[in-house]
Amino acid sequence: MSEPFEPKIVAFVCTYCTYAGADLAGTSRLKYPPNVRIVRLPCTGRISPMFILKAFQKGADGVLVSGCHPGDCHFDHGNYHARRRWTAFNALLQFTGVPEERVKFSWISAAEGIKFAELIESITEEIRTAGPFEQYHKLIAETGSAASV
Amino acid sequence: MSIQEQYRSRAKELLREGTVKMVIGYGAGTTPLRRRPIFITSPDDADRLVLDAACRTNLAGYLLREGLLADQKSVAVFLTPDGVRTINILAAESQLATEQVIVLGFQIDGENARQLEGTRVADFSGIIAERKKKRKEQPSHEVARKLEQMTSVERFSFWEGEFSRCIKCYACRAACPMCWCRRCVVDNNQPQWVNTSSHTLGNLEWNLVRAFHLAGRCVECGNCSEACPVNIPLHLLNRRMTEEVLTAFDYYPGADEHQEPVLASFRKDDPETFIL
Ligand code: SF4
Ligand code: SF4
Repeated sequence: MSEPFEPKIVAFVCTYCTYAGADLAGTSRLKYPPNVRIVRLPCTGRISPMFILKAFQKGADGVLVSGCHPGDCHFDHGNYHARRRWTAFNALLQFTGVPEERVKFSWISAAEGIKFAELIESITEEIRTAGPFEQYHKLIAETGSAASV
Repeated sequence: MSIQEQYRSRAKELLREGTVKMVIGYGAGTTPLRRRPIFITSPDDADRLVLDAACRTNLAGYLLREGLLADQKSVAVFLTPDGVRTINILAAESQLATEQVIVLGFQIDGENARQLEGTRVADFSGIIAERKKKRKEQPSHEVARKLEQMTSVERFSFWEGEFSRCIKCYACRAACPMCWCRRCVVDNNQPQWVNTSSHTLGNLEWNLVRAFHLAGRCVECGNCSEACPVNIPLHLLNRRMTEEVLTAFDYYPGADEHQEPVLASFRKDDPETFIL
């Protein structure tokens, strides 16, 4: 019998809110799927859309980008800039056929450990149902380099 | 006097009286339907200028040639309203000073080139405001509408097919007046974000990065699509981005020279329908 599919998900999070939220989920002993690899950055303003492309290039099945709620940015407005960028990039991804369920954006504060755990649970489930990102994986395979996350 | 004659004598005058040190315009190309950019510095050469419906290239980018504007002298350029928008964006991005630019404005209406009144980019703000209004009402491209109807799998396949033909010649980048970076991010190798090889994955990455970096900056002049040797419909990507910044942020690139770049500014109440 074949193994059930376990998606690889990369989460780009800001250190002040979402990372702290993830930390809170951990210290609260909340359970969430181990499918997510967290990459911590100083601010959502530092999360370039190229990070998302890099994650897919390395074989990710899904990507989460998350940071402080509007108004709560440690640097005051990094997330407002990020939001505009996400709006444009998200539109581009959809237009080029990257399915909506593969790239998610969220605001998760340092107090929202539960929201973090539940979100990881739900996006993991959604991508598990959708299956591997085969169209992208095929392009990776054609390059002759092995994908790894 | 034909419009071409009018512009020739205007160019001549500008050069003779020393208002500008150079006129950037169109000259005869290799076939009757082609034009090529020419750079005129002597009044006697102004008669080489051509102005007709075949003059479609956006010439604004030539102003950024290394050192051209360094002496603070002025240059006159043949520009359509989209060309003027280009100058506005370049000024907003601190790439040039509009005081150094004299506009030889024209517009193509069907088979004819028509004169546009104005000398400085600011003189065209009315026309540009008008274009913004029209752009908002313009339906998306027919092919784009078809794409939106498809499933994401079909859309991905469509673009996979298109991008598979890309040969990474970067002609689209070279032709774009907005691609002024000395070092493009795709040429960066520490870290190397984008595959430099021209396999379909590398081509997809390149084209996504290109389209994204032009979001809210592209004036839809068509230089890139025109330059692409394998006819990738780059305009579909550019147009989609323009429509996004228009609907989400009411932003029309190049409205005036003081307009903040859309991705370098924000409003606290920007829409965020897709954020969880
Ligand atoms: S991306 Fe293409 S259409 Fe847009 S400004 Fe650049 S060359 Fe012109
Ligand atoms: S001009 Fe066309 S073939 Fe050349 S790099 Fe751009 S998209 Fe690819």
